[in-house]
Amino acid sequence: MEIKNENNQAPEVEQMPSAPEAEKAFETTDATTAQDEVKEQIPEPETIIEVKNVSMDFYSRDEKVDNLKEFFIRLIRGKLEKKKTRILNNISFSVKKGESIALIGHNGAGKSTLLKMLTGIYSPTEGTIKVKGKVAPLLNLGAGFDHEASAKENVYLNGAILGYSRKELAKKYDEIVDFAELHDHMHIPIKNFSSGMVARLGFAIAIDVDPDILLVDEILSVGDENFRRKCANKIDELRKKGVTFVIVSHNIGQVKSLCQKAVWIENSELMAYGEVNEVCEKYQKYCESLKH
Amino acid sequence: MEKINGSNPSPFKEWMQRKKESIRKNTNIVRELVKKNIKVQYRNSIIGALWTILNPLLNMLVMYFVFSGLFGKDDKTYALYLLCAQITFTAMRTATTQSLPSIVRNRGLLTKNKISEYVFPISCNISAIINFLFSFVALLGVMVWVTFSQGVQVFSWSILMTLIMLPALFLFNLGMSFILTTMYVYFRDIMHFYNVFLTLWTYLTPMFYKPDTLLKGMGPVAKWLIEFTFEINPMYHFVEYFRDIIYRSVGNPVLFPDVGRTLGIYGIGILFFGIGILIFSLTRKKFIYNI
Repeated sequence: MEIKNENNQAPEVEQMPSAPEAEKAFETTDATTAQDEVKEQIPEPETIIEVKNVSMDFYSRDEKVDNLKEFFIRLIRGKLEKKKTRILNNISFSVKKGESIALIGHNGAGKSTLLKMLTGIYSPTEGTIKVKGKVAPLLNLGAGFDHEASAKENVYLNGAILGYSRKELAKKYDEIVDFAELHDHMHIPIKNFSSGMVARLGFAIAIDVDPDILLVDEILSVGDENFRRKCANKIDELRKKGVTFVIVSHNIGQVKSLCQKAVWIENSELMAYGEVNEVCEKYQKYCESLKH
Repeated sequence: MEKINGSNPSPFKEWMQRKKESIRKNTNIVRELVKKNIKVQYRNSIIGALWTILNPLLNMLVMYFVFSGLFGKDDKTYALYLLCAQITFTAMRTATTQSLPSIVRNRGLLTKNKISEYVFPISCNISAIINFLFSFVALLGVMVWVTFSQGVQVFSWSILMTLIMLPALFLFNLGMSFILTTMYVYFRDIMHFYNVFLTLWTYLTPMFYKPDTLLKGMGPVAKWLIEFTFEINPMYHFVEYFRDIIYRSVGNPVLFPDVGRTLGIYGIGILFFGIGILIFSLTRKKFIYNI
């Protein structure tokens, strides 16, 4: 079997003849001498994401009580008990540095919730999540934009949210504008932008950080064909740098080409976790069975 | 200690490092938010930022024409009496009404990024204080006008005491904002209640009328009741304090407005800030599940 010394394993993934062999290939990517499953003697890439027995509950009232009037009426009638909904149940997996992992499953399965937990927005009800390094979330591009403010102001605001000082951003600014191809539009309020332009700007800002971990939620389909290719190139470039990806996607082809591992979540439960082709196969079988 | 730490930083140091990092990040966010707030405010007008100065001035003019005949007959500096109260009250009103929906309005940011919830009310409050400073320019203009047209020298060094007042006002506003924005996350009709309450508050605070004129000829019970309402009204103390600085300093060489009063407004500020930050910090982790 061929031994690869480089960190980038993306192009090879699709060419792997069978799942077990592919798995071996990944294990050897960072190590020069690995021939078999023995891992101990080689410096193992460190685990940078560890999710252990994580469960998540959301509390909600039957009907959302969000005003005082409703609150008091229900208080008097004694109808204020909360309902517990389990969004995720006992999920465990880990990701090593430089690896890419996909979260797959049907809508509402809890993938996005999991991604938000990795970002640190939600904290788990049970279990632990350990994340090492700088995390950059690419969730719903442009959600953080102020539509009254100009594109330039939004770049600075979003940059600050991602943890950059004004000085650092001033250096990156031209790069961001170049990538988004919005040179003539930076002083226009975002509200006058087309949705494609907003997404482009959002992607350009989010991608121009130097994260250790990039969390990507269904955004690789923004913009026109040209821009999409540009995004794909940029993502490849980051992967070569050793950035770890966590991707939520419904595009199985994309998942297979980008990731080595996959986590399949269905109805809040972890259905499968492991090598990407195996998991995707199981998932597709499950999807087929639903149709009949 | 050093022996134990060795090459690994102690958990405490690591924790301190993380805290420092997060404070630096959130300070940057607040700065950008404030800048954006100020810029967006008057974006679509031709004279732009000038509005911040003109706005209180025009408002004051309206009130001046309506009420000067009624309350300012023998007061040459009635314009100052009005404007002092107005810009102080406006600072509180803008700070609180903008902070109130700030958490809910920024749900897009809060649910997609890891940001401290504090940045939104804090940035609204800083913008309000900056707007207060703009209005202060308008006040200075009126002071010049009064000096020349009425022949009363109104400038004195006590103007500098504004800087003593501002932190106390800021703390009070911030405390109020924390309480209101927390309530708004859970009860969306708070905004309507608060707007009504603000109108009531405007009239309960002697902005255009003078308490002495009002209380003249009233029975002892009514008199006591009104005075009591003033006493428990925080804005009354801030407004009166600012009037001490600007309006009552005319021909009065006292530099420091009463020490007791200064302690008083700081007491109010710290009390409200304390209550506000307590409520906010205890509930903020749950905000994202409710917005």
